[in-house]
Amino acid sequence: MLESTGIEGQAGPIPAAAGIGLRFPHHELVLQTHPAVPWFEVHAENFFGGGSARRTLEAVRRDYRLSLHGVGLSLGSAEGLDRSHLERLAALVQSIEPALVSEHLAWSVVGGRYLADLLPLPMTEEALAVVCAHVQQTQERLRRPILLENPSSYLTFAHSSIPEWEFLAAVVNRTGCRLLCDVNNIFVSASNHGWDALKYLNALPAQAIGEYHLAGHAVCTLENGREVRIDNHGSRVAPPVWALYEQALRRLGPRPTLIEWDTDIPALDVLLDEAALAGDRLRSSATRSHACAA
Amino acid sequence: MPALLELQRAMGRALLAPSAPDAQTLGFEASPAFGVYRNTCLGTLTQALALSFPAVRRLVGSAFFESAAQAFIRAHPATSACLNDYGEQLPAFLAHYRHAAAVTYLADVARLEWAVNRALHAADVEALDVASLAKLDAAAVPALSFVPHGAVTVLRLERPADVIWRAVLDGDDAALRALDPDAGPVWLLIGRSAAGVEVRRMTALAGVFTQRLCAGEPLQAVLDAIAASIEPTGGESMADALNAVLADHLASARFTSWRIGEQAS
Repeated sequence: MLESTGIEGQAGPIPAAAGIGLRFPHHELVLQTHPAVPWFEVHAENFFGGGSARRTLEAVRRDYRLSLHGVGLSLGSAEGLDRSHLERLAALVQSIEPALVSEHLAWSVVGGRYLADLLPLPMTEEALAVVCAHVQQTQERLRRPILLENPSSYLTFAHSSIPEWEFLAAVVNRTGCRLLCDVNNIFVSASNHGWDALKYLNALPAQAIGEYHLAGHAVCTLENGREVRIDNHGSRVAPPVWALYEQALRRLGPRPTLIEWDTDIPALDVLLDEAALAGDRLRSSATRSHACAA
Repeated sequence: MPALLELQRAMGRALLAPSAPDAQTLGFEASPAFGVYRNTCLGTLTQALALSFPAVRRLVGSAFFESAAQAFIRAHPATSACLNDYGEQLPAFLAHYRHAAAVTYLADVARLEWAVNRALHAADVEALDVASLAKLDAAAVPALSFVPHGAVTVLRLERPADVIWRAVLDGDDAALRALDPDAGPVWLLIGRSAAGVEVRRMTALAGVFTQRLCAGEPLQAVLDAIAASIEPTGGESMADALNAVLADHLASARFTSWRIGEQAS
């Protein structure tokens, strides 16, 4: 039996087991076949409306634990949070009572325009204050802690003064939020910027980690010949990311782990297969930590 | 060093502009990587439009659709992260997009697809309780008006966009060849039921009646406008026909509430 290390939501915690994203092409199949997966994560914005998508979610939540993952709240927007977006998120949280709610360390809205990407923040005291204020505002409105996900990024700012891992730890300290540790994002950003991925992992506060994300990424060559890794969620998890995940389990401990796959979405079986690979690692890490404790 | 708001404004402009930004003024290193963000921004919004307008995309081909979508995105950036809500202005944009002028029915197909998109995604709202209408004083009925469900749209289109839309999505080339795009205007009712999205043709009478009711006009004003504009036809009386249309709307949960002056359900 795995110990539950998820965060308690109204519907109970998510176990430290591997779940998958519930994506539109699989809605029918999931309802019909009831796959053996412990939990699902959904993108919040896809369920802001009603109709059949919402009916599917209502049906799925009767049988599975859910994690609600926001992609558009734009916690890093200097102009402030879009209140109507926060209200829609709050209404959805109240209605489906997810076990986890997460968002990103990024921004995507300026001048009232949604730029449809998780854009990078300069790591400055000003950005830290903005993010902390918005995490606090969100947690107060939702009346629960959220998980903040570390981003993948392709450029850094000359005036950044705080390492990203320290920035994340500071948000945790100031707001009481938890962290969603995206292992693929750490690998992608570390490769792109020449950071030490293990140093990044070691700097994260272990007790604050509430979930892991795993995904595939692409390798592209830019105009200037520089190689860049792009977090496109379009393939299987890369071997070095599995290795980094094993390190994360060792250093930070087992947590609910999500397989993300959003472009070229494969058959449901492929996702379940990938989740089983994460499940194997979670189980051996739990066995190992029990052995250590004995 | 730019302040955060200043930096975000500059990046926002640069993402939607066709040329590369000046990395120096934005204060970031490794500027060629900026293209990764621009590709994601434009690609995600284009994909959202492709999901909402699949028949338009098939009619013009994916390359044309992509370039039209990029022109649209720059003219009408998204204002919400809920991308099911993005694209309302695309039909009007396509109506004036000169590269698409040869496809005379394109904007009408886009109008239909936007209505279908609303029918798919509109918020769930309780239907009007029909029993509450039975208690109304007959003298108040002329002032009665309705609030339509967000999933309901009435369209009067110059081209038979419903036939084109179905044929394109079914890949039915024979149906496309057989249709006469200049056969005259059609009235369509788009909504959703438990079975899914419904696209139905209506008579001009039912169309005008429903469109005015959905605009919140009081019943008597709607009937007066119809009497002034539509020639009565033989057979079934106009009153009977309109009663049947209204009964169908009520039974099919197309209205969510009613109002008489200050009084409301």
